[in-house]
Parts: sequence; structure tokens; C-alpha cells
Amino acid sequence: MPGTREIRNKIKSVQNTRKITKAMEMVAASKMRKAQERMRAMRPYAEKIRTIAANISHANPEYKHPFLIQRDSVKGIGIIIVTTDKGLCGGLNTNILRLALGKIKEWEAEGERLEMCTIGNKGLGFMQRIGANIVSQITGMGDAPHLERLIGAVKLILDGYLADRFDRVMLFYTRFINTMKQEPVMEQLLPLSGERLGAPEGLWDYIYEPDAKEVLDHAVTRYIEAIIYQACAENLASEQSARMVAMKAASDNAASVIDELTLIYNKNRQAGITKELAEIVGGAAAV
Amino acid sequence: MAQAQGTIVQCIGAVIDVEFPREAMPKIYDALTLADTGSSLAESGLTLEVEQQLGDGIVRCIALGSSDGLRRGMKVASTGAPISVPVGPGTIGRIMDVLGRPIDEAGPIQSDERRSIHQKAPEFAELSPAVELLETGIKVIDLICPFAKGGKIGLFGGAGVGKTVTMMELINNIAKAHSGLSVFAGVGERTREGNDFYHEMKDSNVLDKVGMVFGQMNEPPGNRLRVALTGLAMAERFRDEGRDVLLFIDNIYRFTLAGTEVSALLGRMPSAVGYQPTLAEEMGRLQERITSTKVGSITSIQAVYVPADDLTDPSPATTFGHLDATIVLSRDIAALGIYPAVDPLDSTSRQLDPLVVGEDHYGVARAVQATLQRYKELRDIIAILGMDELSPEDKLAVARARKIQRFLSQPFSVAENFTGQKGKYVSLKETIKGFKAIVDGEYDSLPEQAFYMVGGIEEAAEKAKTLQ
Repeated sequence: MPGTREIRNKIKSVQNTRKITKAMEMVAASKMRKAQERMRAMRPYAEKIRTIAANISHANPEYKHPFLIQRDSVKGIGIIIVTTDKGLCGGLNTNILRLALGKIKEWEAEGERLEMCTIGNKGLGFMQRIGANIVSQITGMGDAPHLERLIGAVKLILDGYLADRFDRVMLFYTRFINTMKQEPVMEQLLPLSGERLGAPEGLWDYIYEPDAKEVLDHAVTRYIEAIIYQACAENLASEQSARMVAMKAASDNAASVIDELTLIYNKNRQAGITKELAEIVGGAAAV
Repeated sequence: MAQAQGTIVQCIGAVIDVEFPREAMPKIYDALTLADTGSSLAESGLTLEVEQQLGDGIVRCIALGSSDGLRRGMKVASTGAPISVPVGPGTIGRIMDVLGRPIDEAGPIQSDERRSIHQKAPEFAELSPAVELLETGIKVIDLICPFAKGGKIGLFGGAGVGKTVTMMELINNIAKAHSGLSVFAGVGERTREGNDFYHEMKDSNVLDKVGMVFGQMNEPPGNRLRVALTGLAMAERFRDEGRDVLLFIDNIYRFTLAGTEVSALLGRMPSAVGYQPTLAEEMGRLQERITSTKVGSITSIQAVYVPADDLTDPSPATTFGHLDATIVLSRDIAALGIYPAVDPLDSTSRQLDPLVVGEDHYGVARAVQATLQRYKELRDIIAILGMDELSPEDKLAVARARKIQRFLSQPFSVAENFTGQKGKYVSLKETIKGFKAIVDGEYDSLPEQAFYMVGGIEEAAEKAKTLQ
């Protein structure tokens, strides 16, 4: 049985831990609201750019953008994986990385050549550890992801696709469902399936300057970027809510640990008092 | 001077005051017998042992036997010598009580040789260092706290964590295979266990190598205080003849407890936690005699009850210092269902030294301890933040530690009735190989349940197949 002093120290250290987890919980709660707003704010733009891209590709059946062409000629997959920069957000990164690892093993067994772009520290560390082929990385995105920062790294993967190094590009991220539930998902980014782009509502056309091909190229690229940005935004919202939930659980756990320790401490203290009393009484009787 | 007679002047429980003529006072530790012929107590051979000289011809004695029916004025005769018990080959295969009387109803003990239960501890120059290892076949013990031939081993544990079962398994594995003699001293434990032990030995045909002395919990404190010495006198006799003797004592704490009971009645002021003020001295006297000399060796295995699971209690704390190897049985581990519930972090052995056991064994034992220690440190984090927050290295360490924890369990031959599994004897080589493989991560793929209650590492691999 540990001494009274040791228990008191332990209680203190758990109390400090609880203070920190409690603070992190509250910080995450306020950041979560902002991250969710950002995610929602992104939606109208993503929707609009999708409609435009769909419209253009629909209006010009004679030209097919390379991102839209299905091909099986090459054996290679580009992977973009979105994780958080910091830990203490429950099983969020573990889940997405487990999903990714399972797929990577599968693909490697099939003899696919893999190239990887990691967004977030945790994914980078993990992929480095398993010795994956990382071609680009983005870390330290902070609370507000900026498209400019994403483009450079992602472009390497998109260029790889254009240069026929891969036959598809996969995107791994954590989808935000609600505060309590986040889901690791894998989406095929390229080639873009026609379904995803969807069909336009009405049949109308734009006037292109200089020509339709040029505009379409740009619009599709913007659309891809929008998807990736959306993934980052969702991941961020997921991170904050997962962190809030995890820290709440941690604070509760710490509270129950403190309760247990306090009980032991009080019992110890009482036992000590009783023992001393018994010894004094015994000693007095003997004298 | 022998046969000086005295008269009982006071009886308080097991403590008796006797008045002698001043010129014929018995010496300290002299045995006195009842001289009133015709009384049933004298026929049952009630013996007193002198503990204190109170002056005016009065000596204070403890009764080695029930003092029921004793009254003041009874005549007591001094034998002029300490209590002596029969020793030598005649005692083998027999059960005796503290006074060396047979209690197995198999006739008188055939031995002319008697020896006083109070002896001096061997001198410095006579002692011999012990280095040769003694394999026990119990994985956790062989790995973490290896025994030395001629060493002193303590089995510490609270109530009901399996001290006696572990000791029985050790007897089963060592004494049965051991070519030499064994002495078992039952001190203040259950009478039933003594009976079980006798039949166990009889059934496995090793009774002709075991001498037994019992002073169990039904007996008065005087008996429990001296019975360990009786067993020790027997063992010493064989040692001094040049043999290697195994001495099992279950349970040293009852010896201390009997001392406490007697101490207060003798009028000594209780010391810390109510123990006798002479605790260290009493323990030292007993323990210093249990030792190996250049002539022969005594390998002793002692069970030590730990009151309220508190190892800092004066009684187990005093015992600690005397031992070469300490095996600590922990309630937390027993609560996980892991038997033997040996705590691999608290248990130590002087033999766990690269110069004695070899680099390989030492390295594996320390690696096992390091992994378990890491797990112990991480437990608080896991309790608060959960497994997800651990780094991959720590997760792996936790997984391995949990496997090691389970692999430290082992089915016992003596516990076949409880576990329904056949007992497993695992050689030291197998043990080291198994733990080395787990620590090195060769078995990371097996589920941890596969390591529970198996013998060697191959069995774990076998079991993993049945689990899937």
C-alpha cells in the first residue's frame, strides 16, 4: 500500500491533468464551431464550381479532360491522406490511418506503385515510419486551411496523374457527420466519375474566351482543389469535435481516478489515526 | 542439579511462573516437565521452557502444549537441559510435533540421537557462498528470481494469493526430483494442509526422503514459536553430516505472531504495530541458523504472510533482509486471474546477476521487467486518455507487456483440481527462449489470450491456432 504522501502527490498530478484536459475541451469546443462554419461556408463555392465544371464538360462532348478519362494502362496509385497536426483527439488519426494502411497493403500486394501526399503531421509521421513513398507533404496548416498552401503539394500528385504515372488518385480523410460521429472515408479523386460531376439542370452554354478547352481545364482543376479543400475543412471540423469528446472523456476519467485515490487516501489516513490511537492506548495501559 | 523441583506460582495462559529453590534455579531455555504423577497433564508430557528469571527463585516459562487444567501448586521438575528432539535418519518419513514426539501414529521414532532445538548460528568462517542455480520449472521464478542451491528464499504474499499452492508446487518440482533430503516445518498454518502434504508425499513415493514437523494453528503459542526451531534442528543435523537439505517453512509470519502473543504475556511492552520489542532478535536467531556451511547446504523456502498486503509491516520487513531471493505474490495480479501471482517488478534475487546466470538470462529478465515497468507507467495515461493517445511504440510495448503478463501464468501440477489443466514444468532454457521471443516481437501477431496458462512458447503458438 502506497504511503499517504505518495497518494496525495498522485491526486495532485491527476488534478493537474484534469485541468489541462478540461481547458483543451473548452478550447476545442469553441474552435469546433468556427471549423464547422468554415466547412459550411465552403459548400456554396464547391457546389457552384461543380455545376460550372459539369456544365462545361456536358456542353462540349467532343473534348474530354484527362481527369475525366478512365484508363487501366498504368499500374500506380496516387494517395492524398488528410490527418491532423496534433494528437489528443481520440481515435481520429488511428482510424483513418488504419483504413489507409489496410488499403496500402492491399495495393502493394497487387503490385501497384504508390506515391503519397500527406497533409498533417500525424499522417506524415506514420507514413515515414512504415516507409511509404512520400512525394510531398503539408504540415502546420493551423485552424484555417488555405488553398494556396494546399495547391503546391497536391499539384505534384495531379501532375503525376497527367504524366501517366498513376491510373487513379485516392483521397483519405475523416468526414464530419456530427459532433459525436466522424467517419474515416476513402474517395476516388481521379479520374472524376461523370456521376460525381453530375449532369447540369438545364441545357445552356457559355461564351468561351479564348476557347472551351482552356476554360474547362481550369474549371476542373479548381473543382479538384475544392474537393481537397473541402476534405481538409471536414477533417478540421472532425478534429475539433473529436478532441472535444476525447478531452471530455479524459476529464471524466481523471475525475473518477481522483475519486478512487481520494477514497484510498482517506482510508489510509483513518487507518493511520486508528493505529496511532491504539498504540498510545496500548502503551499507556502497559506503563 | 537435575531433577530440581519447583512449584507453579502463577498461570496466565501459556505463560507459567515457577518457584524453585534458590540454589537450584533452571537456566534460560531449560526445559521443565510436570512432576505431578497421576495428573493427565504430566502424562501428556507437558513441557515448559524457561524464558525469564524474575528473581527470588521464580522463573517465567512458556508452556509447549495446552495449559488447560494447570493449577498453582503443581510440582515441576527441571531437566537441566534445553528441549531436545530426535534427529537423524530415524526422523525421515515421520511426522513429529514441536517436542519431537511422533504424531503419525506409526510407533516411536527410531533414533538414539537427540539435538537441542537451540543452537548457535554457524560462524563466519564456516559459511559458504551459494552460486549454483536450482531450476524450479516455474517460468516466472526461474526468470525473475532464480534460486541458488543453499540459498534462502522467501515467498511473500497476503491472505489467499497462493503462497501455499506455490510452495506446494515448488516442493512438487524440486523435492520430488531432488535426490537429497527435505524437511518440512508447518508453522501455524491449517492442519488440513499438513495432512494434504503428508498424503501428497506418500502418494508420490518420496516419503522416505521427507521429515515433517507440525505445530499448526490449533496449537498454543509456545508450540508455534518453537516448531520452526525443531524443524531446523533436524535440517541442521543432516547438513552437518554433509548432505544437501531442502527446508520448507510454512509460515514464518506465524512464528512472529506466536512471539507477539507470548511477548505480551511475558510482560514486555509492545513495540511498533503491537509486535514484540525483540522482533528483530528473534527473527535473526532463527534466520541466521538457516544457512549453508562448507560441510553441507540448507536450501530453505519460506512462506511469509504479509498482513494487510503491506510489505512495510515490521514482520515481513524484518524477514526481507535475511533472504537471498524474495518472491512477492501480489493481489493485483491474482485479481487478473494470473497464477502464480508473482509480482515480477517487486520480486528479486541476488542470483540475478550476469556473472551468475549469464548475460542471456540477465538481459531477458531485465527486458521483461523494463517492458512491464513501461506498461505500469503508461497505465495512468491509458486510464485517463485512452489507448488511442499512445505513440505506436508505446502501443506495441503495452501489447507485449500484456502478453508477457499472461505468459507469466502457468498451470500447476498441484492445482490440477482447480484449473482442470495438467501442470506444466518448463525448463529454464525454454523459459528464456519464450520470453526473449516475446520481447523481441516474434509473437506480436498472436492474440494475448494465447499466452494465458500455457507452458513453453510453442504451446502459446499452438493455442493461438485453436483460438482463431
